[in-house]
Amino acid sequence: MNRMLCFLIAAVLLAFNVSAQKDNTPGIVKSSLMGLEYDVRAGLSIGGATPIPLPVEIREIEGFNPSINLSISGNVKKWFGADKKWGLIVGLKLESKAMETRARVKNYGMEIIGDGGERLKGNWTGHVKTKFRETMVTIPVMAALNVSHRVALRLGPYVSFVTGKDFSGHVFDGYLRENNPTGNKVVFEGDSQASYDFSEDLATFQTGIQAGVDWKAFKHLIVYGDLSWGLNNIFKSDFNTITFNMYPVYVNFGFGYAF
Amino acid sequence: MVRIIVRLCKVIVAILLTELFATACIRDEAPNAEADIIGCMLDQTILNRQPVIENDRIILMLRKGTDLTSLAPEFTLTPGATIDPQSGTHLDFTSPQYYTVTSQDGVWKKTYRVEATTSALSTLKAGLEHVRLSSDGKYHVFYELDDNGNPLFDWATANAGYSLTGAGSQYTDFPTRQDPDGYIGSCARLETMRTGSLAERLNKPLAAGNLFLGQFVTLNALMDPLSATRFGVPFDHVPTSFRGYFRYKAGDVFYKLDKNAPDKLSPVNGRIDEFALYAVFYESTPEKPTLDGNNTLDINNPYILATAEVTDTRSTDRWKEFDIPFVFRPGKTVDPVKLANGNYNLAIVCASSADGAQFEGAPGSVLMVDELVIEFKEDED
Repeated sequence: MNRMLCFLIAAVLLAFNVSAQKDNTPGIVKSSLMGLEYDVRAGLSIGGATPIPLPVEIREIEGFNPSINLSISGNVKKWFGADKKWGLIVGLKLESKAMETRARVKNYGMEIIGDGGERLKGNWTGHVKTKFRETMVTIPVMAALNVSHRVALRLGPYVSFVTGKDFSGHVFDGYLRENNPTGNKVVFEGDSQASYDFSEDLATFQTGIQAGVDWKAFKHLIVYGDLSWGLNNIFKSDFNTITFNMYPVYVNFGFGYAF
Repeated sequence: MVRIIVRLCKVIVAILLTELFATACIRDEAPNAEADIIGCMLDQTILNRQPVIENDRIILMLRKGTDLTSLAPEFTLTPGATIDPQSGTHLDFTSPQYYTVTSQDGVWKKTYRVEATTSALSTLKAGLEHVRLSSDGKYHVFYELDDNGNPLFDWATANAGYSLTGAGSQYTDFPTRQDPDGYIGSCARLETMRTGSLAERLNKPLAAGNLFLGQFVTLNALMDPLSATRFGVPFDHVPTSFRGYFRYKAGDVFYKLDKNAPDKLSPVNGRIDEFALYAVFYESTPEKPTLDGNNTLDINNPYILATAEVTDTRSTDRWKEFDIPFVFRPGKTVDPVKLANGNYNLAIVCASSADGAQFEGAPGSVLMVDELVIEFKEDED
């Protein structure tokens, strides 16, 4: 997936170059007359997958590292009417969403499943470190509104097909109550860490809402910013180990080239 | 330049989000869900040992002659929890009393059985005929009855520790369980087992079956497994011999802990597994109330008076009788005053791999024990 991203970034940079040299080709001019426009974009995403609101079990966020997430996308815009005020955008975006967090929790329901089917279920009080990374192909479908000749607003739903999944981490410095809060108590300290990996339990499809703004800095250069807000749990619906739903909320910003 | 901007953005976003979560989004702490008795107080002058508090049981070992008909133990609980009957209520402890603790959030309840005993064990004949299931229904807990059918004592095992590996879902999955094929009636069957992938990650790849007099404390089971097995209960006679029946089959391949191996075990060629089967008579002091896995047979342990150990640990095809005299260590004698005051403890320890506590042994080693008896001198007065 990373290699694919690199390749696509190279392709976009190449497109910048080629297009910069010979301004609007006949094809693009023709498209433009039909109200169609194209752009390619490269950007960064920062955000996290989070329960909304935070469950009471989370007592403190002790650390948060928004990893570098690259995104690359191509969009087709269709403008309507003579004034081209309203339009529709369909895109194709390759992106990753990731984060690392460290939290202190109290009475956090969990279940660890071992390679041989071992199941340790209980309530954890202590620290939890989590690493989350997904790569995905996203298709946004947005309504666009030109508010000035330089600024356009966008809003609409998206679907993502998740191609790479990682949700793993460990619990440390705390204690587990086996089965439920009245069960046997066992302390984990120092080197004793219980690791978990729920990567396989991440859902393959995600949907959400995306809102953004484009600013046409120059004729071909777009500066953009988007907020994407996931509406379904990042985990499969039959996954109950983490008792609350988590939603990906990311800000994506970067540059684009409009043909 | 781009890298600096990226880094700056990351830092700003991290700070913003952390602050946002830390201030705006962290919700008020929920009331406690735990329902523990964390302390138990009783008049120090009647306590022979400090109260033993387990997850759902408290044992009060009292001085001989204490009147059990009206005791008022006081409890400290998980903050916010409540107890019924109330702490400090006078109750008749000639039979066990039950207290129910309700958590602060009102959702969770736990019932403790509180037992008070004045006599140390007066007889020690264990037929291993009786088991009940643990409170989570997974594994066997052995207990003995006296001649009148009244509960005498519970055996301890490390099954609760094995339960934490997640590898056991029913009693047949656990290292220690009852087996109907005893020398007389049923017996205890102890098997050395692998613990599975979760425990391997914690460098605890192996568990021996064990059975002992004392307590298993899960709290320490991960951090300090040797101290989790507290061997011994009060005993106010001078033991003379330890006898009973056993059969043993050593597992095929002996392993030792190897933190670098994928399954945390490496085979030891030529080494044959051995079981442990012994009894120890020792002095219990407030500083050192019980022996544990670190020191049960330690030759330099000053508290040990006498031991009776089965030393022929070869495999046997059939049940084999043993009758081992207690051998007093040089210079060790019984102090009649301490004996009368109940200051001595007796431990019986059975394990399917003698070095199982160090995660050494052969998976598949099986020790079966039955009809365990401690003979002792009749009181002279």
